[in-house]
Amino acid sequence: MVLGELELVQRSLEGDLEAWGEIVRRYKEAVFGVALAILRNRADAEDATQEAFIRAYERLHYYDLSRKFSTWLFAVAANVAKNMLRKRRRPDPQPSPGRLPDPAEVVWKEEMQEAVKEAVWSLPDSYRAPLILRYWHEMDLAEIAQVLGLRVGTVKTRLHRGRALVKMRLAEQGVIHDVVQ
Amino acid sequence: MMWSSDLEERIREVLAQEAEAAREGLEGLEERVMRAIAQRAAQPSLWQRLKERWGLTFSPRWALAGAASLALILGFALGRMFAPSPLPLSAQAGTLFAVVNPQAHSVAVMGDFSAWEPIPLTDPDGDGIWTAVLELPPGRYAYAFLVDGRWVGQDPQADEYVRSFGEYASVRYVGTGGGA
Repeated sequence: MVLGELELVQRSLEGDLEAWGEIVRRYKEAVFGVALAILRNRADAEDATQEAFIRAYERLHYYDLSRKFSTWLFAVAANVAKNMLRKRRRPDPQPSPGRLPDPAEVVWKEEMQEAVKEAVWSLPDSYRAPLILRYWHEMDLAEIAQVLGLRVGTVKTRLHRGRALVKMRLAEQGVIHDVVQ
Repeated sequence: MMWSSDLEERIREVLAQEAEAAREGLEGLEERVMRAIAQRAAQPSLWQRLKERWGLTFSPRWALAGAASLALILGFALGRMFAPSPLPLSAQAGTLFAVVNPQAHSVAVMGDFSAWEPIPLTDPDGDGIWTAVLELPPGRYAYAFLVDGRWVGQDPQADEYVRSFGEYASVRYVGTGGGA
């Protein structure tokens, strides 16, 4: 029998670790996406994902069951990641947490994808995180605002500017051809 | 050729690749999380260990007065030292966070309770004792101090410490019977 999310949360509140394990299984990739949006480094985002699930379990009794669980969980993950970003002493890694390009795969589509990836990951934090939550998680403006602790209007502005910056960078590289600069 | 109108779709594509690439690193995360939770739950706090060892008891009624005395004593003892001596404690009136550091220009506390946003401590009389009293509901709180922007994670009065991502943080239990 597949248990519903609410039942899993209630069982977790009663100390059922297996139920929480199922929550982790269902949400780990999404939570990782939130962490990566903020940290931009895959290894750190994996650490933050684990810590976020531990932190969320420990603070589960503060979760309001009438609210959307994923939004609450993502907000916990965003806080963990932001805190980790503050504590991170080493220089911010350069963008593109993805694999190194394989010379054999240097075809136009992959070059274009690499350019898009680099343009997204090299955005300033404030623009990158909303953009990734929008296009990775398909979150709406209100949810992004809740997760990142911003006002809806701010999210809207940052998304707009983030997209504009990506477009501008791609146009500079000649990847996009129909942008008037 | 790529057109502006394709941009959103291309962004979705590259992020989907990231999600795919992430799967390997997240394998077994469920077990790691459950193990970590079980381990943390099995570790008695510093306060619990002190109680078991010396039979210490703690009355919330005297918490604020006791802590204020302790802060004064430690303040005199450590007042000339550069290292901060944070003294958080719980009481019905709130939870006091205090750092003794006459050389500091700014002191803040941050933790679970503030989503790790710094909350300033104040030293209105300039005696080097920086304080803030926070109203915290019962629970377990991880926290650390920022002294002139420097992370100070180990509070000698904490119930326990946790270490994650290479940094220490202090943990305090408020009104749960698990510590202060």
